[in-house]
Formats: sequence, C-alpha cells, structure tokens
Amino acid sequence: MHKKLEKIFNRAFGIDKINNSTSIDNVDGWDSMAHVALIMELQKEFRVSISPADAIELTSVEKIIQYLEENAVGDLKKKPRD
Amino acid sequence: MKLSAIAKTLDSNGWLACRRTAEQIRQALRDNTIEDCRKLKIAFVSSFTIDPLIDFLIVKVAENNIALDTYKGDFGQINQEILNPQSGLYRANPDFTFLAAEAASLDENPVLAAEQIIRLATVFKNNSKNILAVCTFIPQPGWPLHILESENEKDYQKANNLLKEKFQDDPQIQICEVDSLASYFGYQNAMSPEMMSMAKIPFSESFLELLSLKIMAHIKAALGMTKKCLVLDCDNTLWGGIIGEDGIDGIKIGPDWPGREFVSFQKAVLELYKQGVILAVNSKNNYDDVIKVLREHPFMVLREEHFAAIHINWNPKPTNMPLIAKEINIGTDSMVFIDDNPAERDLMGQMLPEVFTIEMPSNPGLFEKTLRETNLFAKAFLTEEDAKRGQIYAAQRLRNQLQENTPTLDDFLKSLEMVVSIKYAEQKDAKRISQLTNRTNQFNLTTKRYSQTDITAIIEDKSKRIYVLSLKDKFGDSGMVGVAIVDCASEKWRIDSFLMSCRVIGRQAEDALVDRICRDAKEQLCRIVEAEYIKTAKNNLVADFWDKNGFKKLVSDNNTTKYQLPLKEYKPKNLKYLKFE
Repeated sequence: MHKKLEKIFNRAFGIDKINNSTSIDNVDGWDSMAHVALIMELQKEFRVSISPADAIELTSVEKIIQYLEENAVGDLKKKPRD
Repeated sequence: MKLSAIAKTLDSNGWLACRRTAEQIRQALRDNTIEDCRKLKIAFVSSFTIDPLIDFLIVKVAENNIALDTYKGDFGQINQEILNPQSGLYRANPDFTFLAAEAASLDENPVLAAEQIIRLATVFKNNSKNILAVCTFIPQPGWPLHILESENEKDYQKANNLLKEKFQDDPQIQICEVDSLASYFGYQNAMSPEMMSMAKIPFSESFLELLSLKIMAHIKAALGMTKKCLVLDCDNTLWGGIIGEDGIDGIKIGPDWPGREFVSFQKAVLELYKQGVILAVNSKNNYDDVIKVLREHPFMVLREEHFAAIHINWNPKPTNMPLIAKEINIGTDSMVFIDDNPAERDLMGQMLPEVFTIEMPSNPGLFEKTLRETNLFAKAFLTEEDAKRGQIYAAQRLRNQLQENTPTLDDFLKSLEMVVSIKYAEQKDAKRISQLTNRTNQFNLTTKRYSQTDITAIIEDKSKRIYVLSLKDKFGDSGMVGVAIVDCASEKWRIDSFLMSCRVIGRQAEDALVDRICRDAKEQLCRIVEAEYIKTAKNNLVADFWDKNGFKKLVSDNNTTKYQLPLKEYKPKNLKYLKFE
C-alpha cells in the first residue's frame, strides 16, 4: 500500500518519497483543490467510498494509511471493525 | 517542440494527474518553448467548481496542438460576470465563453431558470461580439421505477427545448447539449453527490473527462479544425470477410449477424455524409470486385455515388492518401482514416502522422460506437452547402473523368458549360462566408479568419464590400465557392481577403472575380487596387496569383507581400469559358 500511495503522490505532486509525516502542511501544491483530486484518486485506486466528513480529515499520509487499512477492499485485507 | 508531442509524454490519466500536467503545459507556454500551435482564449462562467473540467480540457486540447488561455469566473458569480459590462469576463475578452449553470442554482423551476439563462445571454450579446456556448440542464430522473413521468422531469425537457429553440439560428450563441451527453453516459454514472457536497463538483471524474471532449469539439469547430474527409478501408471494415476470396455472395453484410454490425457502422458513416463529410475509399483490392459490391450488393448502405474518390489498387495505402487529397482538393491533415487492420493503421501513422487514424477495436460490433464517440467531424452549425457537399464532390469525380477523356484543356473547359454569378453578399450568406474563410487554406491569399458575427458587421459596413461567387456547370451546382472582401473607403481599394474553394480552381472563376473587382473600382473612379499575399504553410498555390493578374509587386517583409494595380491601364479580361448570370 505504501508503494501504491507513493506512486499517487508522485503523480500528483512530483515527490519521490513519502513517510508518515508527509502532510498537507509540508507538500507543495497540496491545496484544497488538490485535496479533492487526491480523494477522488484514492477512491478509484483503493476502491473505497470516502464520505465528505472523512475526506476533510485525511490530511497526512499517516491518516490516509490508517483510513485505508480500516476501510479499503480489493488487494488489502479488510480488518474487522468494532 | 510541438505542444502535442509534449502533451503525449505527460500523464493524463485522471484528474489528479491532469492537474499537474495542465500546470506543466501552462509553464511550457509561459516559457515560450512551444512552436506552432493554435491558440484560443476561453472563459468559464459556472454555478459550480469548474477547475477539474478546465484541467482535463487543457490536457486534451494540448494533445491536439491547441493552447488555451483560460479565464475562470468566481463560482456562483454568474450574474455579476455577465451583467456588469466592466466584469473580469469582459475585460479578459475571451474568444469563447462557456456558461454552465445548474438549473437549481438559478431557480426551483427549470423553465424559469432557462428564462434567466436567455436573459443573461441577451445581455452578453450587448456586451460582447464573441461566442457564447450555453450548456443545457441535466434533467434529474425523479422516480425511475414509477409509472408516471415526474412533473420536474417534464419541466427540465421544457426548459432545454426553450434554450434550443431560442438560440438555434443565433450565430453568436451555441448550445452545448450536456443533457444528451449525460443521458448517453447514464445519469447515475455522470453525477457525483459526494463530490458535490465536498467541493461543489456535480460530476463524476469520468464524466468530467468526457465533457471536456465535448467542449473540445466546440473549440475545434471555432478554430476551423474540423476534419473534412473520412477515408475508409473495405474488407473487414465496410463488410466482414475479403471480397477477393469470399466473393460478393460470401462477404458478411446484411440484417442478421454476422453482417448487421457492418450495416450499423455504414449507417453512421452515411449520417456523416449527410452532414457534409466527404467520403473516400482506400483499399487494397481488385477495382472491379469492390465497385461491384458498391453498385450491386443488396445490403450495402454506402454506394458508389456517396464517394468523392475511390482508390482501389495494390499500392501502399499511404501512397494513395495524397492522391485522394489532391483529387478532392484538401490537405491530408483534414483526413481521417479507418481501417480494421492494426498494421495498416500503424503504417499510416508513421508515414502520414497528420492524417488522423482512428484506433479501431478488434470487434466489429464496436465499430459504430467507436466512430460515434469521436469529436473529429463536429460542426457548430450546418450550411446549405454542407447538405449538398456529397453530391458536389460526386459531380467533381465525374468532371475529373471527363477531363481525363478530353484531349485538351480548352475543349474540357468549353464542354463544362459553366455559369457564374458574382453578387454582393447579403446577411443570409454570412454563415457560408464565415465557413469559407475558416476552412479554405490553399487558395486563400491572406488567410484571415472571420466569425459569422465579423462577417455580419462587414456586410453592414458601407465602406466595405463582400463579393460572393457561385458557379454551376452541366454536372451540377457547386454553390458559393469564392469570396472577396474589399475595403472601398478611399480611392485606393484594398483587397482584404480573396479566396476560392479548391475544387473550382483553374476554371477561370478566380479570374472572373478579380476582373469584377477591378472593373467596379474603375467605374467608381478609383486609381489603384491594392492587394496582399500573406504566406502560410499551405497557400503556396497562390504565391504568384497577383503577379499573374497584372498586379505590381511593391514590398515584401517576412511573410507579407504587397501589390498594386494602377487601374488606368486595366483592360477587362477575356473570360471565354464563362457565362454570366
């Protein structure tokens, strides 16, 4: 998942490496419009449906990974919730 | 570097990638590293967030070598942008403005929303002479599984009809039928309630991408980049099987499968023909085999008379292509090529990259869909000439046959029995005149492009004259084929534009038009007629046209050569092949 996410960030912002602290505060170009585009791409690539309430919270790689681990289907194992 | 070449190396897969790619394209344009592309200034005025659409559009048009300069009105500011003559929109002075509003953002009742749009468009026309494209509303299917149609849905239909009827004959307003695109794509797939909540983007990503292609069609039409000619292969393209092996009774075409998919495909091609697209055949076969199918097969939709050029031989197809172009008198860059065989397509792409080769699917059942989902032949309007174009070119093919069978040019020109009419343009001619200024590349001395609104203004202008020339002969009526725009403000007349449709060149019609202008000028006691030749990549054909007509070369700088004709010594031409009406 990290690799796939890294590729998305590369295509979106032209950065090669990401880590947990990569966030909306330290990536050039990650503005509110880019955020919407990023959410669209995450939904497509990880086959999740992200609610607007969740979407506004996903402002760092750490939060995105945590969210995807809990919600994504497809090539990720879905963790049992609750 | 060419813009299209740069665009093709960049990532255009999805909005996220297009955002970055669009920015890279803008940067390349700012850096001035792009050579030779078409430019257009376009504005968007919308009730919702338009950014993703613009990103897709910039990338898609760049692949077609078009650079967009975009202006974006603040969303939700439709009224302010259009009603205030000092708004950012009018200050940006775009060639093309897109007005996209959701009905609900204007009024609960879609019909009242449409009336608001009509009022806005009317104000726009007072404030600007440029084109406005108005998007239709997407009707929300109220209760898809109920029996009675919802009132709301009916109102949407009414509203859209109102928009279409109001503007159908307005040269300045185009309708962008977003509703038909959404119904083609499917309402549920087109809309995205989540994105609407989150970012005021009403559409799904895949619909935004498709919509950008539709807007591109409007842009290409405005730039005169619409393709003119569709060139078709035969075996496994127009019918299933190989005529040389399977014979006329063995090839697959008819009402049942296999064969019905080729009938559907041919019907779509025939629709294009009726919209003025020129058809041609480029096939490796024995000529007689194919002609027999075109003439005799009971289930063929396309017939010999639909084709302006028929090249059936064993030459490589890229060799035939320029010959077809020459026969029809168009450039190879106005041609589109369809062939089921990937190797033939690949060869065409390598030898003649300017020909647009459509990537066909291997399943013939998808041919029709593939053709219908192109925007290559999109026109903003149809003229009378468009509807007649097919017959006009078929007549031309017969003329060419006559010329081949006539010993001298003199005899040929005599035998055509040509009748010419030269008149001042009237308002009803404006559409066709604008079309000719935008489509004519080869026999065009100054290549100035004029919109219909420009032409309307020139016709009104008492200090200018537009001459239009029509030609007919024993094979048929070619319609309006020549235009000259002359500035008559002083005792020096100046020929601003002079162009002829290529299919009538060399038949004295061009001489008749020059002669008429010079005789009129002399009658008005002018001393001199001035003219220009502005060189382009395509109009070398007429580089010495003014010289041949007795004009004297004055100066040339860069691509412009200026000429003068003193009228004192002007003698009317001997136009012995033409009768005047």
